[in-house]
Amino acid sequence: MKFTSRPTAVVLGLTLAAAALAGCSEEASGGGGGAEAGACAPEDVTLVGQVRNESNPYEAAWLDGGDAFAEQVGLTQDRLTYDGDSTRQQEQISQLLAGDTDCLVMNILPNGDSDTPPIVEGAEEAGAYLVTQWNKPADLAVTDYDQWLSHITYNGVESGKQIGDALAEAIGGSGGIVALQGILDTGAAKDRFAGLEESLAENPDVELLDDQTANFSRAEALEVTKTLLTKHGDDLKGIWAANDDMALGALEALEQAGRDDVAVVGIDAVPDALTAIEDGAMTATVSSDGPWQGGIGLAIGYCVATGELSVEDIADEDRAWFAEQFLITSDNVGDFTSPEVDAADFECDNVFSRSQGAIS
Amino acid sequence: MTSPAGADTEVVLPPRPQPRRGVSLRDAGPPIALVVIIGLFSVLSSDFRTIGNAQNIMDAAAVLAVVTCGITFVLMMGSIDLSAPGVMGASAIAVALLVANNRNDNAYGLVGVLLAVLLGSALGLLSGLALVSLKVPSFMTTLGVSAVGLGVATLMFSGVQPNITDDMLDNWAVDRFLGLAQLTWIALGCVLLGWLVQRYSRLGRYAFAIGGAEEVLALSGVRVAPYKVAVFTLAGSFYGLAGVMVTSQLGAGLVQAGRGYDFAAITAAVVGGTLLTGGRGGILHSAVGVLLVTVLTNGLVQVGVSPYWQGGVQGLIVVVAVAAAVFPQRRRNQVTK
Repeated sequence: MKFTSRPTAVVLGLTLAAAALAGCSEEASGGGGGAEAGACAPEDVTLVGQVRNESNPYEAAWLDGGDAFAEQVGLTQDRLTYDGDSTRQQEQISQLLAGDTDCLVMNILPNGDSDTPPIVEGAEEAGAYLVTQWNKPADLAVTDYDQWLSHITYNGVESGKQIGDALAEAIGGSGGIVALQGILDTGAAKDRFAGLEESLAENPDVELLDDQTANFSRAEALEVTKTLLTKHGDDLKGIWAANDDMALGALEALEQAGRDDVAVVGIDAVPDALTAIEDGAMTATVSSDGPWQGGIGLAIGYCVATGELSVEDIADEDRAWFAEQFLITSDNVGDFTSPEVDAADFECDNVFSRSQGAIS
Repeated sequence: MTSPAGADTEVVLPPRPQPRRGVSLRDAGPPIALVVIIGLFSVLSSDFRTIGNAQNIMDAAAVLAVVTCGITFVLMMGSIDLSAPGVMGASAIAVALLVANNRNDNAYGLVGVLLAVLLGSALGLLSGLALVSLKVPSFMTTLGVSAVGLGVATLMFSGVQPNITDDMLDNWAVDRFLGLAQLTWIALGCVLLGWLVQRYSRLGRYAFAIGGAEEVLALSGVRVAPYKVAVFTLAGSFYGLAGVMVTSQLGAGLVQAGRGYDFAAITAAVVGGTLLTGGRGGILHSAVGVLLVTVLTNGLVQVGVSPYWQGGVQGLIVVVAVAAAVFPQRRRNQVTK
């Protein structure tokens, strides 16, 4: 390696860095400064939705839901994605909070539990209105903050049990099943599997032959399922997957093995899974209603920013809560294939209507 | 690292890196490890030692084998290639959109497959050009190209999963010939092709020589840059084909089609006896490595090791296998201090 061109490299590097910074900060728009909390004119509110990536149908639908709400109140939503990269998420948040934050409303999907505290601290300091979903450390209390309005998540134990029960019913109440777990050290994977164990306790004739992880991945689920099919053969009557991607991988494996006598269930209600349920290839899935999630976080923030709701009036049990989720089977799949948001869900006195209780 | 310009381009053949005298202990290590592991699992699990499971292992190894074919050439040169996830993602989405699918009216069939593989070649070419013309280490260029590939894939994906309805591509994963899925035969074909290139073409022999002693090669008047670019292009083509194969297996084009395959392939190549420092190993070594890794993954499930333990156990066995396989060359294999 020769370093004859080091100055050039430095200049290039600096230019690139400057360009990147300039590019990122052009989001910050001018608005009247010094607005009191809850006194924003509706047109001054900035709506931001942030998820991991748009290449995931669920998260793309989430952002579309945010757009639908924004349109409802005559605004637009800034769609941010960070590719599942925690550092990038924090950088984007810092950029946002460095701009005009008086009427900034953020609906954020933190990458992991540990990514939530810095986002919360940043929003608190900058005075931006924040709603988080899915991930937060258990010991971080929303009620300790004024700007962190609400945290919404789903009871994984319940969804794991719902599909477990649906699977037990589909195989006639008895027979062998296998479980495809998610990434083992995530809360979602643990809770959902705990739900399956509850379901198994209530269905004593259903036997869990094996549980393996496929890391929430379709490709890994394909390989693991093939292996499990050779291992258990005809004893295998059902496959419980902790998400739909793995369920779809399992379906491919079944097709390749020429088996059509195995019931498959998943969670998330991704479009392909809904199609599979319509076709009868898959038994059940659970929907958290992604478009609603994209809209509701912005709606709560918007209501507080414009003064229709005040933080003090939000009951403690609505600061961190489980939202309703829906079991989808062939009976009701038609209602979910073209997800639409219902404007009434986002009315300020209705935003907590889907609560299933506080997070214990 | 440029060659002296204008030198006599009449090729001076580099000495064969390895005299072929019987089977040395060095080359025998990984196959012995493979036999031992297969024997061990066969004793431990009656489900493991079935014909069905042997077919399953071969089928499961197919994609990794193709990726490893590509990466082996790069490793032989002493470079490294982390572009597989991006290249595979791009070609997976591309092929899903080019053959009959639910997103558009394309139905190019085999031509679509070819175009997707060419997209892989183009991305590989990009890695190679960045390496030789900008002198950026391959570690960084290929990481960058992987990001480019994922970016291209995400753009083409645009929020809706393309599911394939093309019969040919669907059947590659389902139809069997002599007990193995067509994809597995494609993988075997790739291994054969890779071996022929490595053994009989100038490209293959120079890749070896570049890894062994690049300076000597340059001093003897060989312009190495074009060969480096060619090797990365070849590797990109293999990744492109692997992306197509994943799409065939999953019945859908996924941006994440290649996730994890970069390190899985490097692991397989190294376990098989290809050195990270270059100049040693080869396609057949890597093929053994691929089987080792696949047998391990399959065997641990068949034996019934708890999923909470599998990752750790698998890692430990890989470290032991590599240590045993490369013990005779431990001085050369030291990449970092």
